Amino acid sequence: MTAAISLFLFGAVTAALSLQLPLGTLRAPGSGFFPLVLGLLLMGLAASHAIRLHLARPKPAAVPTTPAAPAAPSSDGATLRVVLFMGAVVFATALLETLGYATVSFLLMLALLRILGVRKWLVSGPIALASAGLSQVVFVHWLRIPLPSGWLGL
Amino acid sequence: MLESLQYLIGGFTVAATAQNLLYCLIGAIVGTLVGILPGLGPIAGIALLIPVTFGLNPTSALIMLSGIYYGAMYGGSTTSILINVPGETASVITCIDGYKMAQQGRAGPALAIAAIGSFVAGTIAIFGLVLIAPPLAAAALAFGPPEFASLMVFGFVVLSNVTGTSLIKALIMAVVGLILGTIGLDPVTGNARFTFDTAYLLGGIEFVAVAIGVFGLGEVLVNAAKPPAQLEQRVLVPRFRDLYPTLQDLRRSIGAILRGAGIGFGVGLVPGPAPVIATYASYAVEKRLSKHPEEFGKGAIEGVAGPESANNSATQSAFIPLFVLGIPFGPVTAILLGALLIHGVTPGPLLIAEHPQLFWAVIASMYIGNFILLLLNLPFVPLFANMLRVPKKVLLPLVMLFCFTGMYSVNNSILDIWMMLGFGALGYVLRGWAYEGAPLLLGLVLGPKLEVAFRQSVMISHGDFGIFVERPVSLALLLATGVFLVFPLFKRAWRSLRPATTTAVT
Repeated sequence: MTAAISLFLFGAVTAALSLQLPLGTLRAPGSGFFPLVLGLLLMGLAASHAIRLHLARPKPAAVPTTPAAPAAPSSDGATLRVVLFMGAVVFATALLETLGYATVSFLLMLALLRILGVRKWLVSGPIALASAGLSQVVFVHWLRIPLPSGWLGL
Repeated sequence: MLESLQYLIGGFTVAATAQNLLYCLIGAIVGTLVGILPGLGPIAGIALLIPVTFGLNPTSALIMLSGIYYGAMYGGSTTSILINVPGETASVITCIDGYKMAQQGRAGPALAIAAIGSFVAGTIAIFGLVLIAPPLAAAALAFGPPEFASLMVFGFVVLSNVTGTSLIKALIMAVVGLILGTIGLDPVTGNARFTFDTAYLLGGIEFVAVAIGVFGLGEVLVNAAKPPAQLEQRVLVPRFRDLYPTLQDLRRSIGAILRGAGIGFGVGLVPGPAPVIATYASYAVEKRLSKHPEEFGKGAIEGVAGPESANNSATQSAFIPLFVLGIPFGPVTAILLGALLIHGVTPGPLLIAEHPQLFWAVIASMYIGNFILLLLNLPFVPLFANMLRVPKKVLLPLVMLFCFTGMYSVNNSILDIWMMLGFGALGYVLRGWAYEGAPLLLGLVLGPKLEVAFRQSVMISHGDFGIFVERPVSLALLLATGVFLVFPLFKRAWRSLRPATTTAVT
């Protein structure tokens, strides 16, 4: 249901923003015409999906016999791993121009390996160093992509 | 026909240059790795390699990128057979009998038949492509904006029908993709739309960022969410001498391979994730025709030969709508369309006439690529299988680093990485909500084309929408679209009526 509502709102925002563009006429549609149609179409599809979901929802029992159990917290830490993983990449992107590609790629690899369970420094360190070095050779020296060198000049 | 063969020979002279052979080999190897390694499908694989092709001419670039596509189809079978994990979606069905054969100690024959079947079917499909593409391109010259608009609408609806489980969810994703495709300069008037006064968005949403984000990063995040214990896998690597199939294996497979080639070729011509549908159709046909249907699901070699041949054949014939109509019918060909546009080549009915060297060289490179892949996949299967020993907890960070660097390389822009991260998060959330990414990507790539075709149509007709039903081809396509839209509703209504009927009878 959250998805359908979010998509409905996305369609509504699209339609509203399209109205600020020239709509033109049916003979010569303007810039806003096509996105307006798409926005309205998305609203219609999302609304019908939301209604279907609502109708298909199992009806709750009239008198609950036992209190509903609280949602169990995620025991395997899946959400935490995904947040940490994305967080590491966000940090790496933010620091790319300052620290340079060589440093950031090493630190990113090190962080991601440890987040995914490669705990031993003697394992994660050399893997991070080797992969950062290899990507430096391939992208910077072989493909000549001007990746940021940062304050270290690497 | 004779003219086509002459052009094809010319194509071979271009494709067989040392430089193009090298790019074909690189594409085939990278494609095989992309197919083997879970977490990196052909869509993200091709998107990541697009920046690498910037220094190449369009012909070499397309030779390499298409090599990745059909290479992935070869490689995908390896993981399905050896560890029961499909490398990409078109190899899901191979798990059923391929893995059972591996458990019975017959991984070698399964891998060999998959490679031989892929080679034979790929070669047959390329012959079909040579025969069909030129006359179809000539016929497509009669297509005007209304026909193209209707064809694209038809493509979206068919793709939505066959993707995932929910038609409405797939249609929603296609519309979201179309909306994202409107960001940037209006293709007709040049007005800026939804750019929020930023120069970055004037060129529109970078489709590579969407492809890598939704398909590459999204897949990595899904895997990262799994407990560390699930990221380990045991691999039994077959020895080279165990690879040879017996004469009986070959005899049982030949019919399945030929039928798979035919099914795959036909399915590749219609919209949708052709290689995936082709494998399911082929498996169903083989099971029905088999003298030993009871063996299916328990290690029947036809269950490997048919689907593996079908997915390769469909991969090759899916190039026909892309080259001839300029309209990709699936997400991978959508990425290839984007790559062609980046290289200044616009596919469509005039491609064969305007860029014959590119068209015929790519076709010729497919023959060569198929042969290279056969050579790679038979003797080097143990080597590729060893790649599976790399633990996922090491592989996933490597894929992430490759996404990160590859994304920057497209435009040398950090903003592109932010865009990729945004779409990666979106891809992860969408998977959680069971929404498919393929219609979104197709909508994004085809959106501007659909808008131009639609607006040109109504301008031609002075605002009369009847133009879409007055022209026979357009009308036929819209009627077919209607059938595909209404069919699931009938199916649901029929299902809901059946229990009631049963109750009434009893």
